[in-house]
Amino acid sequence: MAFIKVEDLTYYYPETETPALEKINLSLNRGEFVLVLGSSGCGKSSLVRALAGLLPDFYGGRFGGRIYLENQEIRTIKRSALVKKVGMVFQDPESQLIMSSVEQELVLGMENLGLPVSLMKRRLMEVGEAFALSPYLQQRVTQLSGGLQQKVVLASILAMQPEILILDEPTSQLDPVAGEEILTTVRKLNEDQGMTVILIEQRLERCFHLADRVVVMEKGRIVQNQTNLKQLVVWAVKEGSPFLPPLPKLFARSGFTRIPLTVKEGRGLLSEETGGRFSCLSAEAAADQTGLVSRSQKKAKKPSPSPCLTGEKELLLQVENVAYTYENGVEALKEINLELYAGDFLVLMGENAAGKTTLLKNTRGLLQPTKGTVRFLGQELKTRPIEEWAGEIGYLSQYPGDYLFLPTVREEIEFTLDNLHLPKGVRVDLLLEKLGLTKFAESYARDLSSGERQRVALAAVLAADPKLIILDEPTRGLDYELKAHLGEILQNLQKEGRAILLVTHDVEFAAEYAAEIALMTQGTIIAKGSKEEMLSDSAFFSPQVAKLFGGLCAEPVVTLAQGKLVLEKIWERKEEGRQTMRSAEGAEK
Amino acid sequence: MNSYNKKEEQEQMRQRLHPATALLYLVAVVFLSLLFAHPFFLLALFVAVGTIILSCGLVHEWVNYLKVGCGFLLVIMMVNVLFVRAGSTVLFWGPAFPGLGRMRITLEALCYGAGMGLRLLVIISAFCLLMYVVHPDGLIQLLGGRSYKTALALGLSLRLFPLMRADFLRITEVQQCRGVNYRGKKPGERIRKIVPAINVLLLSSLERAFQLAESLQVRGYGLGRRSHYLGKKWRLGDKLITVCVGAGSLLSLWLVWSGQAVYSYYPRLQSIKIKEVYSAVCIGLLFIVPACLNWGWKKWPSLRSRI
Repeated sequence: MAFIKVEDLTYYYPETETPALEKINLSLNRGEFVLVLGSSGCGKSSLVRALAGLLPDFYGGRFGGRIYLENQEIRTIKRSALVKKVGMVFQDPESQLIMSSVEQELVLGMENLGLPVSLMKRRLMEVGEAFALSPYLQQRVTQLSGGLQQKVVLASILAMQPEILILDEPTSQLDPVAGEEILTTVRKLNEDQGMTVILIEQRLERCFHLADRVVVMEKGRIVQNQTNLKQLVVWAVKEGSPFLPPLPKLFARSGFTRIPLTVKEGRGLLSEETGGRFSCLSAEAAADQTGLVSRSQKKAKKPSPSPCLTGEKELLLQVENVAYTYENGVEALKEINLELYAGDFLVLMGENAAGKTTLLKNTRGLLQPTKGTVRFLGQELKTRPIEEWAGEIGYLSQYPGDYLFLPTVREEIEFTLDNLHLPKGVRVDLLLEKLGLTKFAESYARDLSSGERQRVALAAVLAADPKLIILDEPTRGLDYELKAHLGEILQNLQKEGRAILLVTHDVEFAAEYAAEIALMTQGTIIAKGSKEEMLSDSAFFSPQVAKLFGGLCAEPVVTLAQGKLVLEKIWERKEEGRQTMRSAEGAEK
Repeated sequence: MNSYNKKEEQEQMRQRLHPATALLYLVAVVFLSLLFAHPFFLLALFVAVGTIILSCGLVHEWVNYLKVGCGFLLVIMMVNVLFVRAGSTVLFWGPAFPGLGRMRITLEALCYGAGMGLRLLVIISAFCLLMYVVHPDGLIQLLGGRSYKTALALGLSLRLFPLMRADFLRITEVQQCRGVNYRGKKPGERIRKIVPAINVLLLSSLERAFQLAESLQVRGYGLGRRSHYLGKKWRLGDKLITVCVGAGSLLSLWLVWSGQAVYSYYPRLQSIKIKEVYSAVCIGLLFIVPACLNWGWKKWPSLRSRI
């Protein structure tokens, strides 16, 4: 008997004519770890909200079909029983925290259930210990980092002891370490306590291998419901679906028939395929095929010239000995030195609260350094008001919604142009086309999906034609396809000679599109270099491809393209070996 | 003082005090500030509340509140001086205005305005203390049970106020990065430019409110009878503060009833007796006890477990 059963579920949000969910049929077993995938706006969140009983009770709208929990129709289950059965964690921790202190936040759900105080105390102690939250119980939730806030939300739901845990992109706002922690905890709950977990996640490299079942959605429908992950990979490769973690994608696209799901499996497979002589082979491959160079050659080699410039690179941004202390005394930046030239693409990475956003704000003039100077084209930023730099420095904040208030996307772009007294007309159309927004030109930007909103905000920034573009966490909540699109847009801007300074927690995105990486911690830049140098030998800040080839390959391999070349070489050599064997056997016969 | 210490100090005060004690203290201060007209008694309350704020390391925050308060104080004094014609010590005879007669600025009107301004500063300081030292959750806990919905709305408002302020700052920054100039000289122009930022703020706040409501829904809000987790205990320190606040309030009532804390500004400023000063100091000392406890907790950590 299925634990959760969905029959012909169709749902329309109020005042819409297109269904968010259409004819959904799904059966999930008790204790399964279910991963729900799909592009932005495909209906993933609507489906899990329906399973949590939020649709249609909370949202309204038209609802058809049935959902059964342990054979009981969900709409006949009392809300108190449903809340005990299903717990749900959303994307943004800050928008889920109701109370001010951690302790009160943790007990809120239990109080609502009317549990006795003695039981609440016991459960509070349990979740406090399990999530290492005990030292923070008396703290204000606003004083916690994003990772801890999300832990508090998760712990407060688990204190209610639900049988089904639904998580809607719980790690999208967290750094890799905090994200890993949350998912490890969820996996433990699933494995040790048999809790049914339904997870929506965009960064598949973190969780794909954990899933017992993967459900892929498209335009409100389920297009795949697989318990065999390898078959799903085969399907995804055949259909060209972007919803694959980098590692299976790499192997499948390099012609391998056996597809590993984890780095461990991948390394084992490589070892088998090369007979343990992997490092020699890859070194050769690196030298003659992949375009990567040996360490000695690399030392001799000068940095590759910027794709955009044939002559001397123009120094755009100069950050000299910058320190910044907030009014409350927090020393957010210490002795930062940074230079950015035209055509540079630098990604800042680091833990939550490392000072990345503060640095971006200092480089845009939104904050004035407590010490040191920030110059753009040789001129100190503080010599001109913030708005006067809009034509030179573009800034995209973490919240695209902060940009959007006008009735149409076109007007949003024109607003920037009007402020700067720049001509409109063709310029707007070109920008709309460049960012793939032409079809949304007359739409209300706040009605668009997260990826589309992001692009509208970017268009509003790019309208000023800035030489330096600063982006704070632009990949938050974007799926693989949208991230790839954004990456391409940024690389094209880089080719046009614009400098890009970007903050992200998304290691895979940084590995694919950045040129350089700077790692920040506690207000300082502790390391800066090419992405190959920075991402190849880290436990957390390295992409799956780098983990796969780490220590095996003479040269760092961090992008999918680099990895693909190495794997293709291995495949070719294997084929050559087979042919040689066959020829030798033929000769013997 | 670094922020960690500062937060630590606020936290100490917040964690030590029972929300009922904190609320009782603030209600008493606001009530007495409305009761007293005598400037020395108002000054005593102001010093007491200010000392507690200082003991929590909230100088910067308090100064921000006082800046607003002083602005109001000036307005109150000006209005009072210009429009109140009572008082016998004329400082300045101004020109005549149609309907108002000749302007007459008196010492008594000036002092009355200053006294009322001081009253406002006491109330504003009490509000500052409420914002930073009283835990919104404490209020929810306190009101709990039947008033839970009201308490939750109050707690959420207190929590969302700084969040909205931060949002507004962020939104105006973003708009400045799009070339919006908020420094225009004409007020009309400035208002016209600020409207989009307010628009974004309202839209974002609505979205956040919806997300909070959804979060409350999945955590079983409104299921019916709820239980009540009391994290805080009523400690010796709370008893001490309650006794002092109670004694201070009773003493104040008696002083006002017996006419010893009454002060009249008109027609001529009443002279201040030394006995009144002693009484005011006495009230101030009773209301300063939480600050003493706060310093005591910092200086002698062993007191934390005793009081």
